[in-house]
Amino acid sequence: MRERGISTIGGILLAGLAGILTAVAITDWAVVDIQIVDPDPMHIKVPFPLFIANVASSFVPQEALDETEVPPELAANKELILAAVTSLLEAPDSALVKVNAPDAHVEVSKIGDNLLVAVDADDATVRCTVPLDGVLYALEQWDWKTFDPDLIFDTLGKADNGPLVTVDVDDGTKVAVNLW
Amino acid sequence: MTRKITAIAAAAILFAGFAVATEGTRWINVNVSEHAEGTNVEVHLPLNLVMSVLRSVDVDNFHRGQIDLDIDDTDVDWAEIFAAVKEAPDGQFVTVDSHDAKVNVSKQGGTLFINVDEIDGDNAKVKVTVPVEFMDAMSINESSQIDVAALLESFDRLPSGDLVTVESDDANVRVWIE
Repeated sequence: MRERGISTIGGILLAGLAGILTAVAITDWAVVDIQIVDPDPMHIKVPFPLFIANVASSFVPQEALDETEVPPELAANKELILAAVTSLLEAPDSALVKVNAPDAHVEVSKIGDNLLVAVDADDATVRCTVPLDGVLYALEQWDWKTFDPDLIFDTLGKADNGPLVTVDVDDGTKVAVNLW
Repeated sequence: MTRKITAIAAAAILFAGFAVATEGTRWINVNVSEHAEGTNVEVHLPLNLVMSVLRSVDVDNFHRGQIDLDIDDTDVDWAEIFAAVKEAPDGQFVTVDSHDAKVNVSKQGGTLFINVDEIDGDNAKVKVTVPVEFMDAMSINESSQIDVAALLESFDRLPSGDLVTVESDDANVRVWIE
Protein backbone atom coordinates (compact mmCIF):
# COMPACT_ATOMS: atom_id res chain seq x y z
CA MET A 1 0.00 0.00 0.00
CA ARG A 2 1.28 3.42 -0.95
CA GLU A 3 1.98 5.71 2.00
CA ARG A 4 0.26 9.05 2.13
CA GLY A 5 2.49 12.12 2.48
CA ILE A 6 4.80 14.36 0.58
CA SER A 7 7.21 12.78 -1.85
CA THR A 8 10.88 13.81 -1.83
CA ILE A 9 10.54 15.77 -5.06
CA GLY A 10 7.35 17.42 -3.84
CA GLY A 11 9.09 18.33 -0.62
CA ILE A 12 12.00 19.89 -2.48
CA LEU A 13 9.62 21.84 -4.73
CA LEU A 14 7.59 23.07 -1.77
CA ALA A 15 10.75 24.06 0.11
CA GLY A 16 12.01 25.86 -2.97
CA LEU A 17 8.70 27.66 -3.42
CA ALA A 18 8.64 28.61 0.24
CA GLY A 19 12.21 29.87 -0.07
CA ILE A 20 11.35 31.97 -3.10
CA LEU A 21 8.24 33.38 -1.43
CA THR A 22 10.23 34.18 1.71
CA ALA A 23 12.97 35.84 -0.36
CA VAL A 24 10.34 37.86 -2.22
CA ALA A 25 8.67 38.85 1.03
CA ILE A 26 11.83 40.01 2.79
CA THR A 27 13.54 41.60 -0.21
CA ASP A 28 13.15 45.24 -1.06
CA TRP A 29 11.63 45.70 -4.49
CA ALA A 30 11.67 48.67 -6.76
CA VAL A 31 8.89 49.12 -9.27
CA VAL A 32 9.41 51.40 -12.21
CA ASP A 33 6.10 52.39 -13.80
CA ILE A 34 6.07 54.38 -17.03
CA GLN A 35 2.95 55.46 -18.89
CA ILE A 36 3.24 57.26 -22.19
CA VAL A 37 0.13 58.59 -23.88
CA ASP A 38 1.36 60.15 -27.11
CA PRO A 39 2.29 59.40 -29.82
CA ASP A 40 2.43 55.65 -29.14
CA PRO A 41 0.56 54.89 -25.93
CA MET A 42 2.25 52.32 -23.77
CA HIS A 43 2.47 51.25 -20.17
CA ILE A 44 5.62 49.64 -18.84
CA LYS A 45 5.84 48.28 -15.32
CA VAL A 46 9.15 46.75 -14.26
CA PRO A 47 9.39 45.30 -10.76
CA PHE A 48 12.84 44.13 -9.72
CA PRO A 49 14.36 43.09 -6.42
CA LEU A 50 17.06 45.52 -5.33
CA PHE A 51 19.52 42.81 -4.41
CA ILE A 52 19.42 41.43 -7.96
CA ALA A 53 20.10 44.89 -9.36
CA ASN A 54 22.93 45.20 -6.88
CA VAL A 55 24.38 41.83 -7.88
CA ALA A 56 23.95 42.68 -11.57
CA SER A 57 25.83 45.94 -11.10
CA SER A 58 28.83 44.01 -9.84
CA PHE A 59 29.20 42.57 -13.34
CA VAL A 60 29.75 46.00 -14.84
CA PRO A 61 33.34 45.92 -16.19
CA GLN A 62 35.79 47.89 -14.09
CA GLU A 63 37.05 49.67 -17.23
CA ALA A 64 33.57 51.08 -17.80
CA LEU A 65 33.42 52.39 -14.23
CA ASP A 66 36.92 53.86 -14.54
CA GLU A 67 35.62 56.03 -17.36
CA THR A 68 33.01 57.55 -15.06
CA GLU A 69 35.61 59.46 -13.09
CA VAL A 70 33.98 62.22 -11.05
CA PRO A 71 35.42 65.77 -11.05
CA PRO A 72 38.12 66.19 -8.38
CA GLU A 73 36.23 69.24 -7.07
CA LEU A 74 33.57 66.87 -5.80
CA ALA A 75 36.03 64.81 -3.78
CA ALA A 76 37.60 68.04 -2.50
CA ASN A 77 34.21 68.92 -1.00
CA LYS A 78 33.60 65.50 0.51
CA GLU A 79 33.82 66.80 4.07
CA LEU A 80 31.43 69.65 3.29
CA ILE A 81 28.89 67.39 1.64
CA LEU A 82 29.01 64.82 4.45
CA ALA A 83 28.69 67.59 7.05
CA ALA A 84 25.71 69.09 5.23
CA VAL A 85 23.89 65.76 4.93
CA THR A 86 24.61 64.90 8.56
CA SER A 87 23.32 68.28 9.72
CA LEU A 88 20.22 67.92 7.57
CA LEU A 89 19.54 64.52 9.12
CA GLU A 90 19.82 66.01 12.60
CA ALA A 91 17.71 69.07 11.76
CA PRO A 92 14.10 69.24 12.94
CA ASP A 93 11.41 68.60 10.37
CA SER A 94 10.55 71.72 8.41
CA ALA A 95 10.08 73.28 5.01
CA LEU A 96 13.60 74.43 4.12
CA VAL A 97 13.16 76.19 0.82
CA LYS A 98 10.08 77.49 -0.97
CA VAL A 99 10.15 79.13 -4.36
CA ASN A 100 6.98 80.63 -5.79
CA ALA A 101 7.45 81.74 -9.36
CA PRO A 102 4.72 82.54 -11.87
CA ASP A 103 5.34 79.26 -13.71
CA ALA A 104 6.38 76.96 -10.90
CA HIS A 105 6.21 76.26 -7.21
CA VAL A 106 9.13 74.41 -5.62
CA GLU A 107 9.28 73.22 -2.05
CA VAL A 108 12.08 71.33 -0.34
CA SER A 109 11.19 69.92 3.06
CA LYS A 110 12.83 67.67 5.56
CA ILE A 111 10.47 65.11 7.06
CA GLY A 112 11.97 62.40 9.25
CA ASP A 113 15.03 60.96 7.54
CA ASN A 114 13.85 62.11 4.13
CA LEU A 115 14.27 65.20 2.02
CA LEU A 116 11.13 65.79 0.01
CA VAL A 117 11.28 67.78 -3.18
CA ALA A 118 8.01 68.92 -4.72
CA VAL A 119 7.87 70.79 -8.00
CA ASP A 120 4.55 72.01 -9.37
CA ALA A 121 5.26 73.56 -12.73
CA ASP A 122 2.83 74.58 -15.44
CA ASP A 123 3.64 71.51 -17.51
CA ALA A 124 4.69 68.92 -14.95
CA THR A 125 4.43 67.84 -11.36
CA VAL A 126 7.38 66.12 -9.72
CA ARG A 127 7.63 64.56 -6.29
CA CYS A 128 10.90 63.11 -5.10
CA THR A 129 11.84 61.52 -1.79
CA VAL A 130 15.54 61.43 -0.98
CA PRO A 131 16.42 59.14 1.93
CA LEU A 132 19.07 61.23 3.70
CA ASP A 133 20.27 58.37 5.88
CA GLY A 134 20.74 56.26 2.75
CA VAL A 135 22.56 59.08 0.99
CA LEU A 136 24.86 59.56 3.98
CA TYR A 137 25.57 55.83 4.22
CA ALA A 138 26.24 55.60 0.47
CA LEU A 139 28.53 58.64 0.48
CA GLU A 140 30.47 57.30 3.46
CA GLN A 141 31.04 54.02 1.62
CA TRP A 142 31.96 55.65 -1.68
CA ASP A 143 35.55 56.16 -2.84
CA TRP A 144 34.69 59.58 -4.37
CA LYS A 145 36.73 58.76 -7.44
CA THR A 146 34.47 57.04 -9.96
CA PHE A 147 30.73 56.63 -10.18
CA ASP A 148 29.70 53.49 -8.35
CA PRO A 149 26.25 51.91 -8.93
CA ASP A 150 26.35 50.86 -5.28
CA LEU A 151 25.71 54.52 -4.46
CA ILE A 152 22.19 54.07 -5.76
CA PHE A 153 21.56 50.73 -4.14
CA ASP A 154 23.06 51.75 -0.79
CA THR A 155 20.78 54.80 -0.86
CA LEU A 156 17.69 52.84 -1.86
CA GLY A 157 18.50 50.17 0.71
CA LYS A 158 17.78 52.69 3.48
CA ALA A 159 14.70 54.21 1.83
CA ASP A 160 11.24 53.76 3.29
CA ASN A 161 8.74 51.77 1.29
CA GLY A 162 6.52 53.97 -0.83
CA PRO A 163 6.85 56.39 -3.71
CA LEU A 164 10.41 57.49 -4.43
CA VAL A 165 9.87 59.53 -7.56
CA THR A 166 6.69 60.49 -9.38
CA VAL A 167 6.54 62.63 -12.48
CA ASP A 168 3.25 63.70 -14.05
CA VAL A 169 3.62 65.57 -17.30
CA ASP A 170 0.67 67.47 -18.70
CA ASP A 171 0.79 65.45 -21.94
CA GLY A 172 -0.30 62.44 -19.90
CA THR A 173 3.12 60.89 -19.42
CA LYS A 174 3.58 59.47 -15.95
CA VAL A 175 6.71 58.03 -14.42
CA ALA A 176 6.79 56.50 -10.97
CA VAL A 177 9.45 54.66 -9.01
CA ASN A 178 8.10 52.96 -5.92
CA LEU A 179 9.76 50.87 -3.28
CA TRP A 180 8.06 48.07 -1.44
CA MET B 1 -3.97 49.94 33.83
CA THR B 2 -0.49 50.61 35.22
CA ARG B 3 1.00 49.56 31.90
CA LYS B 4 -1.26 51.99 30.04
CA ILE B 5 -0.28 54.87 32.34
CA THR B 6 3.42 53.97 31.92
CA ALA B 7 3.03 53.96 28.13
CA ILE B 8 1.24 57.33 28.15
CA ALA B 9 3.90 58.78 30.48
CA ALA B 10 6.71 57.45 28.25
CA ALA B 11 5.02 58.92 25.17
CA ALA B 12 4.56 62.26 26.96
CA ILE B 13 8.25 62.34 27.99
CA LEU B 14 9.33 61.48 24.44
CA PHE B 15 7.07 64.17 23.01
CA ALA B 16 8.28 66.73 25.53
CA GLY B 17 11.89 65.91 24.67
CA PHE B 18 11.17 66.41 20.99
CA ALA B 19 9.32 69.63 21.64
CA VAL B 20 12.23 71.01 23.69
CA ALA B 21 14.73 69.98 21.02
CA THR B 22 12.66 71.67 18.32
CA GLU B 23 12.17 74.78 20.44
CA GLY B 24 15.92 75.03 21.04
CA THR B 25 16.73 75.06 17.35
CA ARG B 26 17.52 78.50 15.95
CA TRP B 27 16.52 79.14 12.37
CA ILE B 28 17.92 81.55 9.83
CA ASN B 29 15.27 82.79 7.45
CA VAL B 30 15.72 84.58 4.18
CA ASN B 31 12.85 85.90 2.11
CA VAL B 32 13.36 87.43 -1.31
CA SER B 33 10.41 88.85 -3.23
CA GLU B 34 11.24 89.89 -6.73
CA HIS B 35 8.78 92.38 -8.16
CA ALA B 36 9.19 92.13 -11.95
CA GLU B 37 8.30 88.44 -12.30
CA GLY B 38 6.57 87.99 -8.98
CA THR B 39 9.00 85.35 -7.78
CA ASN B 40 9.17 84.70 -4.06
CA VAL B 41 11.92 82.66 -2.43
CA GLU B 42 11.80 81.56 1.18
CA VAL B 43 14.73 79.83 2.84
CA HIS B 44 14.36 78.45 6.33
CA LEU B 45 17.52 76.72 7.57
CA PRO B 46 18.56 75.49 10.99
CA LEU B 47 21.57 77.41 12.29
CA ASN B 48 23.41 74.12 12.98
CA LEU B 49 23.20 73.19 9.32
CA VAL B 50 24.57 76.54 8.20
CA MET B 51 27.37 76.32 10.77
CA SER B 52 28.35 72.80 9.71
CA VAL B 53 28.53 73.84 6.09
CA LEU B 54 30.45 77.04 6.85
CA ARG B 55 33.03 75.19 8.93
CA SER B 56 33.59 72.69 6.13
CA VAL B 57 34.08 75.12 3.27
CA ASP B 58 37.69 75.87 2.38
CA VAL B 59 37.95 77.75 -0.89
CA ASP B 60 39.89 80.75 -2.22
CA ASN B 61 38.86 83.50 0.17
CA PHE B 62 36.78 81.50 2.58
CA HIS B 63 38.54 79.21 5.04
CA ARG B 64 36.30 77.26 7.37
CA GLY B 65 34.22 80.25 8.41
CA GLN B 66 36.95 82.88 8.01
CA ILE B 67 36.72 85.32 5.13
CA ASP B 68 39.84 87.06 3.81
CA LEU B 69 39.31 90.81 3.75
CA ASP B 70 41.24 92.94 1.32
CA ILE B 71 42.43 95.40 3.97
CA ASP B 72 46.08 94.36 4.26
CA ASP B 73 47.47 97.86 3.90
CA THR B 74 45.42 99.45 6.62
CA ASP B 75 46.42 99.42 10.23
CA VAL B 76 43.15 99.37 12.06
CA ASP B 77 42.54 98.02 15.52
CA TRP B 78 39.22 96.40 14.83
CA ALA B 79 38.83 95.00 18.31
CA GLU B 80 39.14 98.49 19.74
CA ILE B 81 36.59 99.88 17.28
CA PHE B 82 34.07 97.12 18.02
CA ALA B 83 34.61 97.59 21.76
CA ALA B 84 34.12 101.34 21.41
CA VAL B 85 30.88 100.88 19.49
CA LYS B 86 29.68 98.39 22.05
CA GLU B 87 30.53 100.65 24.98
CA ALA B 88 29.17 103.80 23.37
CA PRO B 89 25.96 105.13 24.92
CA ASP B 90 22.70 105.07 23.02
CA GLY B 91 22.28 107.89 20.56
CA GLN B 92 22.59 109.12 17.01
CA PHE B 93 26.10 108.32 15.72
CA VAL B 94 26.13 109.17 12.04
CA THR B 95 23.76 111.10 9.82
CA VAL B 96 24.57 111.57 6.15
CA ASP B 97 22.19 113.50 3.96
CA SER B 98 23.39 113.54 0.36
CA HIS B 99 21.86 113.63 -3.10
CA ASP B 100 22.37 109.86 -3.48
CA ALA B 101 21.29 108.58 -0.12
CA LYS B 102 20.44 109.21 3.47
CA VAL B 103 22.44 107.22 5.98
CA ASN B 104 21.62 106.97 9.61
CA VAL B 105 23.56 105.04 12.26
CA SER B 106 22.17 104.99 15.76
CA LYS B 107 22.23 102.91 18.88
CA GLN B 108 19.20 102.12 20.99
CA GLY B 109 19.06 99.74 23.92
CA GLY B 110 22.51 98.41 23.07
CA THR B 111 21.49 97.55 19.52
CA LEU B 112 23.08 99.29 16.56
CA PHE B 113 20.75 100.34 13.76
CA ILE B 114 22.04 101.21 10.30
CA ASN B 115 19.52 102.71 7.90
CA VAL B 116 20.32 103.62 4.33
CA ASP B 117 17.72 105.23 2.08
CA GLU B 118 18.91 105.36 -1.50
CA ILE B 119 17.51 108.32 -3.40
CA ASP B 120 18.65 107.46 -6.91
CA GLY B 121 18.78 104.08 -8.59
CA ASP B 122 16.56 101.38 -7.12
CA ASN B 123 15.33 103.58 -4.26
CA ALA B 124 16.53 100.91 -1.91
CA LYS B 125 15.78 101.21 1.77
CA VAL B 126 18.22 99.10 3.76
CA LYS B 127 17.83 98.47 7.47
CA VAL B 128 20.50 96.54 9.33
CA THR B 129 20.14 95.59 12.96
CA VAL B 130 23.33 94.73 14.84
CA PRO B 131 22.56 93.35 18.30
CA VAL B 132 25.18 93.60 21.02
CA GLU B 133 25.82 89.85 20.88
CA PHE B 134 26.80 90.31 17.27
CA MET B 135 29.33 93.00 18.19
CA ASP B 136 30.82 90.70 20.83
CA ALA B 137 31.39 88.06 18.19
CA MET B 138 32.78 90.43 15.57
CA SER B 139 36.49 89.87 15.23
CA ILE B 140 39.11 90.42 12.56
CA ASN B 141 42.43 88.68 13.13
CA GLU B 142 46.00 89.70 12.24
CA SER B 143 45.62 88.10 8.81
CA SER B 144 42.68 90.41 8.07
CA GLN B 145 40.19 87.58 8.23
CA ILE B 146 36.71 88.13 9.60
CA ASP B 147 35.33 85.22 11.55
CA VAL B 148 31.91 84.73 9.98
CA ALA B 149 31.43 81.41 11.75
CA ALA B 150 31.77 83.16 15.11
CA LEU B 151 29.27 85.77 13.97
CA LEU B 152 26.79 83.11 13.01
CA GLU B 153 27.41 81.30 16.26
CA SER B 154 26.34 84.47 18.02
CA PHE B 155 22.96 84.12 16.26
CA ASP B 156 22.31 81.37 18.75
CA ARG B 157 22.23 84.00 21.51
CA LEU B 158 20.28 86.63 19.58
CA PRO B 159 16.66 87.39 20.31
CA SER B 160 14.32 86.55 17.46
CA GLY B 161 13.91 89.38 15.00
CA ASP B 162 14.96 91.05 11.77
CA LEU B 163 18.65 91.38 10.98
CA VAL B 164 18.51 92.88 7.51
CA THR B 165 15.65 94.22 5.43
CA VAL B 166 15.99 95.70 1.96
CA GLU B 167 13.10 97.27 0.11
CA SER B 168 13.79 98.39 -3.41
CA ASP B 169 12.07 98.83 -6.74
CA ASP B 170 13.44 95.45 -7.88
CA ALA B 171 12.96 93.29 -4.86
CA ASN B 172 12.43 93.06 -1.16
CA VAL B 173 14.79 91.04 0.99
CA ARG B 174 14.36 90.11 4.60
CA VAL B 175 16.82 88.15 6.75
CA TRP B 176 15.72 87.27 10.25
CA ILE B 177 16.41 84.82 13.01
CA GLU B 178 13.93 82.90 15.10
